[in-house]
Amino acid sequence: MASDPMGSQLRRILSIFFSLSIILPLSSPSPTMHNNNWAVLVCTSRFWFNYRHMANTLSLYRTVKRLGIPDERIILMLADDMACNARNNYPAQVFNNENHQLNLYGDNVEVDYRGYEVTVENFLRVLTGRHEASVPRSKRLLSDEGSHILLYMTGHGGNEFLKFQDTEELQSHDLADAVKQMKEKNRFKELLIMVDTCQAATLFSQLQSPGVVTIGSSMKGENSYSHHLDPDVGVSVVDRFTFYTLAFFERLDMYSNASLNSLFTSYDPTLLMSTAYYRTDLYERPLNMVPVTNFFGSVMKTIPTDSAYPGFLVAHASEYATISAETETARVVLEDEADHSKTYDQSEKGLQHILDEWLKLLEGKLGVKDPEVLVAYGLGSMVLLLTISTWLSS
Amino acid sequence: MADDTSAAAGTSTETGAGTESNLRTTKPGTKRLFLTVSVLISFLLGAPFLLKSTEIHRSPLPSAAISSLSDHLHSNPPSFPCHFQAIFLSPFKPSDSSLSLSVAERIRAQLSAQSCGNCNFTVSVTVDSGSSCRHEGDAASAACLWECGGGGLVDAIEGRDDQGIDELLLSAVNGRTGGCAGRVYSIFVIEGRDERVVIGKHRHAWMVLKDLDDSTSVVSMIGTVFGDYFMRGGVEKGEYIPVGSDGNVVLSFSLLNSNPSDWIYDWDFQRTGEVLLAPVLEALAPVANITMESQVLYHAPKSSISYWDEKLEAYVVNTRDLPFFVNSNEWHLDTSLSASGRSKVLQFVVYVPSASECPLYIRTPEGEMSKTNAFISPMWGGVAIWNPPGCSMQSQGIHIVRDVLPPQELEKIIEIFIGQLRLLFGLNSNYVEPSPKFKVLASEKGFTNWELDLLYRQHTCFNLLSSLSTLQSLSTLVESLPRMIVMDEIGKQVELSLEAANLAESNISLGINNASALSSIRARALAEDAFFHPSIMSISYSSMEHYFAIYMPFFAPVSLHVLLAAVKEVKRYFAERSKYLTFRASKLKSS
Repeated sequence: MASDPMGSQLRRILSIFFSLSIILPLSSPSPTMHNNNWAVLVCTSRFWFNYRHMANTLSLYRTVKRLGIPDERIILMLADDMACNARNNYPAQVFNNENHQLNLYGDNVEVDYRGYEVTVENFLRVLTGRHEASVPRSKRLLSDEGSHILLYMTGHGGNEFLKFQDTEELQSHDLADAVKQMKEKNRFKELLIMVDTCQAATLFSQLQSPGVVTIGSSMKGENSYSHHLDPDVGVSVVDRFTFYTLAFFERLDMYSNASLNSLFTSYDPTLLMSTAYYRTDLYERPLNMVPVTNFFGSVMKTIPTDSAYPGFLVAHASEYATISAETETARVVLEDEADHSKTYDQSEKGLQHILDEWLKLLEGKLGVKDPEVLVAYGLGSMVLLLTISTWLSS
Repeated sequence: MADDTSAAAGTSTETGAGTESNLRTTKPGTKRLFLTVSVLISFLLGAPFLLKSTEIHRSPLPSAAISSLSDHLHSNPPSFPCHFQAIFLSPFKPSDSSLSLSVAERIRAQLSAQSCGNCNFTVSVTVDSGSSCRHEGDAASAACLWECGGGGLVDAIEGRDDQGIDELLLSAVNGRTGGCAGRVYSIFVIEGRDERVVIGKHRHAWMVLKDLDDSTSVVSMIGTVFGDYFMRGGVEKGEYIPVGSDGNVVLSFSLLNSNPSDWIYDWDFQRTGEVLLAPVLEALAPVANITMESQVLYHAPKSSISYWDEKLEAYVVNTRDLPFFVNSNEWHLDTSLSASGRSKVLQFVVYVPSASECPLYIRTPEGEMSKTNAFISPMWGGVAIWNPPGCSMQSQGIHIVRDVLPPQELEKIIEIFIGQLRLLFGLNSNYVEPSPKFKVLASEKGFTNWELDLLYRQHTCFNLLSSLSTLQSLSTLVESLPRMIVMDEIGKQVELSLEAANLAESNISLGINNASALSSIRARALAEDAFFHPSIMSISYSSMEHYFAIYMPFFAPVSLHVLLAAVKEVKRYFAERSKYLTFRASKLKSS
């Protein structure tokens, strides 16, 4: 061995290679690595007196956007009849507090399903992904097996149901079924369902898919109450559960790592006037180890690129050079052809050419630029000539 | 009944006493019997028509075939036949008898986890050195054995550069292994003075070793080349499948001008990019149907913070801030025209920083400056930062610079993008070469043939398993809802998907990797189309209880009445008939 430095060097190459291959920046995912966050925010009420539900949803929309989830990964479903409602004292503005400090409808609100498009069927289609082929990408939940999804629903609800737009209901087993279908197709890695309605905890009583954590603003038999009335606007502007949720998030920014447990335990039953009940039996991670930005913020796993593929251009250079040279020659050839065709035209269509020249001459002589006028003059003079000749010959 | 008995009573009182209620003199009437029984029979006759008219159209799904194929795939995962052959072009006397077995053992020892798409390999060793020619080991078939007579290759190799040797060996392999050229991986071992290992861009490598008698090192080198490179692509473990479920990928290239009031750059991506990337897209065709589009955006600042570094006299973005670099609110990258609902869009972004942050560099986790100034986010795409030339000397100019990205810079950026594309597909962006003795040749297709084979295998396996699990979920869903309409289109898609899956499996065993990859894409796309068909809405209005709730309120009471009436009438008729018969019998007896 010692007498053969080359062989030992080769062996060293091997060992270096193996050790490096272990330390190399990881490109080693399992297919279930968390790589993006989605939010589906649904306001299931319409009409003026349900102002607070729209304010709830818009507040949460603003929060998740501020924490980094982009519009392309938010599906916002609103009836959207508050801001421009005839009864709105502050047109085009929606507030969630009577101090009117924050206009939720101010900038960049992208509503995906508005008005009468907010139906149970569309909601279930969004969740399960079964759309018609013509539905645009912005209206689809394009999550994959590495996505964490936040599903927030607010409106009027009851025991095992949620009322949609005063005409239909979403039942708890429909929701459970949709979540089961989503899990079968691996449309999410983890799902956080947050519901702010009366008897909210009953809505997820039938869920059985793993990877789902849910929190509702009240338990069976309890109501969820609004927080305060805005005397200017004339209706209640926010619900208690959402109000305290927003209060929790106002202290956070993109970089913070407060845990989901701290969020869930921050709700005080006396302040909420109901019990915020959460269900973690389907979720395997302990809640104090899950940062809220795993659901409410944006996570982008980034890996610095260690090198380009340098041989590519070298290998390609000869081909590329020939290709560009070819295109050059091709263009030159084309130009030659263009010249050719011009001379070709000139020789063949000599008559046309002569007439053109004659027209140009006339234009120059008569000082008339517009060929239409020239033609009119020509016709007029022809008619004159004809009349004169007929009169002469008669 | 009272009438009959009273009418008959007159005639029967004379005959006997005590038997007048058991006798009747006239045949019992059949009108009522006929009426009730006919109503009952009409109900019974009409029941099949009712069932037929309320039948739900359900296209039959081949559930048995699906579950059998799924079980088959799970119990024996698709195994791709690969044949590794080591060809010694210099005289070689192995110290142990079976070199091929030790090589095979070495490769197997390195196999960590059974990931999808592994090779089912066979190893053979050939010593073809002019005077003698000896084969050893197992070959996939006799046609895959190296034909003897390649002794002249050693001389031909002398003095050529690596590209030339690669092409020469390619023609040799094509000529001498007959029909197996696409399935055989070869390594040529030559004795020589300067030791090196070069892995070519087709399916072969060559090694120049000084001492062929040191069989352990020879075995380990051959095993490395076969196991780590040809079989696993040089990555520890990596499986990204950034392909949309309809088999389409859209590569979206964007040039972002962070602050147009400083400078505005344009690029000629159309010409340069399309020329350079066309072979890459063609090579990846069995993996996905890839299309490209490009755009230039303005007013697209990043959303993370950079720090001024005195030593480098530049602005630096730490790795910690990279996840927040992409400013999704201002970067409107999602304006793809050609991406349909289920395609995957991969974003490749060139970021031109503003004058207040120029030049901008990225710091790697190890603390050094990134050589490429670029990063990727898996399943999303990649970002490369390009600093305009001379920006560190930029004073407060009043003129807005409007310029075009120089073609050489664009080509360099495209090199980085190719590296990122390789990372996104789970390979290494480039091979770390620990010494100049070990080299991997680069290909103008962006991927060498053996890397493409690895991708085809991985994707075929993933697509097959995914499509079978989708079909399985679909069939359980359809069975769990007996009243749900299953349209013909769904049935057809399921059938075609199964056909494509079977075709892919048979192609795998034949070793035709790109055809099997194409069939597997088709199988997955059709399975997903069937599963996500918009008519499958499992809302509970299509349940059995619903059906009963509609029809039972009418049919239950009516059928009860009809049945009872018929039964009563039949019983009564037979009772009366027996009475009449006993009367007739008694009359006969008396007369």
